[in-house]
Amino acid sequence: MPGMLAAIGRPGGLEAVRIVRIVAVLALVGWAVATPGFFSKTSILALLTTVSFIGCVAVGMTFITLSGNIMSFSLGVTLSAGTIVFVGMLPLGLLPAIAITLVFGALVSGLQGWVIGYFRANPVIVSMAAMALITGLTTWLTGGRGVYPEGTEADVLKGQVGPVPGPVAALLLLAFAGQFVLSCTRLGRQVYLVGSNPRAARAVGIEPWRTVVFAYVAAGVFTAVSAVLIAARYSSGDMQHGIGYDYHAISAVLLGGTAIQGGRGSVVHTLAGAFLLATVQGLLLLHGFSTQMQYLLTGGLVLGAIMLQYRGGTR
Amino acid sequence: MNPLQSMLRSPIGRPVVLLLVVVAALAAADGGHGRVLSQATAYSVLQQFATLGPIALALGLTMMVREFDLSIGGTLSFAGCVAVLAGGVHPLLGVVLALAVGAASGLVQAGIMWRLGLGSISVTLGGLFVLSGLAYVLTGNETIGFERMDVVEAVNQRLAGVFSLRSLLAIGVFLIAEFVISWTRVGRDLIAVGSDRRAALVAGVRVKAILFATFAVAGMLTGGSGALLSFSLAAASPVGLADTLVPAAAAAIVGGVSLSGGKGRPLGIAAGALVLCVLRSGLTAIGVPPFMHDIASGVVLLAVALVDSDELGRRLHPLKSRFTHPSLL
Repeated sequence: MPGMLAAIGRPGGLEAVRIVRIVAVLALVGWAVATPGFFSKTSILALLTTVSFIGCVAVGMTFITLSGNIMSFSLGVTLSAGTIVFVGMLPLGLLPAIAITLVFGALVSGLQGWVIGYFRANPVIVSMAAMALITGLTTWLTGGRGVYPEGTEADVLKGQVGPVPGPVAALLLLAFAGQFVLSCTRLGRQVYLVGSNPRAARAVGIEPWRTVVFAYVAAGVFTAVSAVLIAARYSSGDMQHGIGYDYHAISAVLLGGTAIQGGRGSVVHTLAGAFLLATVQGLLLLHGFSTQMQYLLTGGLVLGAIMLQYRGGTR
Repeated sequence: MNPLQSMLRSPIGRPVVLLLVVVAALAAADGGHGRVLSQATAYSVLQQFATLGPIALALGLTMMVREFDLSIGGTLSFAGCVAVLAGGVHPLLGVVLALAVGAASGLVQAGIMWRLGLGSISVTLGGLFVLSGLAYVLTGNETIGFERMDVVEAVNQRLAGVFSLRSLLAIGVFLIAEFVISWTRVGRDLIAVGSDRRAALVAGVRVKAILFATFAVAGMLTGGSGALLSFSLAAASPVGLADTLVPAAAAAIVGGVSLSGGKGRPLGIAAGALVLCVLRSGLTAIGVPPFMHDIASGVVLLAVALVDSDELGRRLHPLKSRFTHPSLL
């Protein structure tokens, strides 16, 4: 390990970083091929479904990270509260319930974006405040209990689109939409510009706060989609559903290679990161590693991925 | 600037004023039942302070050098588990190992940041995952009990009505930290590193040593706090202690530490931590349901984030800024 670090630390280290990345991915693929049962239908479907829940939140988190605001600690509780909103609104019908949940996510997250963008308040602290507020208010309103749907309208969402499970189809669609917005629209390009250099953005006449609000609204909507999918899958709305999702999401974002300081990365990267994370977890499970070893090894993997973000000469 | 304003802007003045306001508000809400201003509440406040205080100080110190340690939750659980496991042999061994674990995690993470030129948020995020993973592996994903009831009693026993060994240690740590930050060269160097790292380097401050020391001390504060907390609860769990980051950040920020670095005093952080502990204990004492703690600390955190935001003044005085700052910024 020290030897590897030294190699990375030298000026020619960037090449080494690239090689380490490629070797790591190849090793993972090799391991997957060598693992009996990994490519079975059940294993792949389970993997894809796990990816899709985390993936939607991670795609949302990508917008926040790209816009230069590091990460949000409130997407997990937004997800939890979203499952409760969705189940609570189901009596109005499936589509209205979905729409209201998406609006809820957009509002909750967009408001944070406004505080962060308009007043240039610290994103980490604002998202922590939002986390405490959402947790408190939701517990107040629900009495801390989960909510369960009366009917079975939401079961449609458990179905499949052709051979593809619903959540996976939703993730692919969302990721495509997210990447399209980022790469091909003015707003999306502005997210990159504001994330990499807010001063320059101002100099060319962009009001950075509008872009930041947009990034947070996008994050909220993507998280709300995940909330709908999870509420449908578990047939309940509960504050427990979203625990840990902020950390899983930022892991996927960082594993994919999106820069924590903003302005560099993409939804496709995050998607790759989410798949990588889920593949490793699936492989560890198939090889009979205990839950605690899975935690430790994925933790080490994320730390390794973060260390590979070294770009040379930043200090 | 009038004296009131300048006191409100000083890193100790604001949290102390806020603390008095919170105590007065709670006492008023209590309506003379004597539930807030009681010995029992004071003891409960100080017991919470014994855990939250040192963690808030750890996070606050890293914020003062313009970094941010996300890994404190992981250090707290891991050190707590180490302390309980080794504490079965001898309690002091448990504490020493917990301190060593904290120092090591701080040093390793600072080393990665320095060597690879990475930001503390990303490195400590990875550190958080690894440390909590280690805690899970060490305990086999279970809560482990601590058998030495004599030690449990010793750390919790009331001294002079409101204190305990734990809270006295926390207070001592704050006094030492205040002395070091306010009265020694190390303290001034630390503030210099947080204010302007490049200028500090040019001025001959040993930036690298300060950064490593800050993270090592932060790790030790968190580790020690985790050890004593686990002793006090007679148990350690890899999951139980994860929800500490938000209150610690809230305490540090309410306590006058700025995320842009170079600002803050340990006594201010102590007052900030006390504000949160008083809120929690006081609200419980007057019978407010627990979710109000979340709402109250969320509101406080949001308010301080707004007050400390870069552009609050500009946004509130659009006309004034249009005349004084007609340029891009």
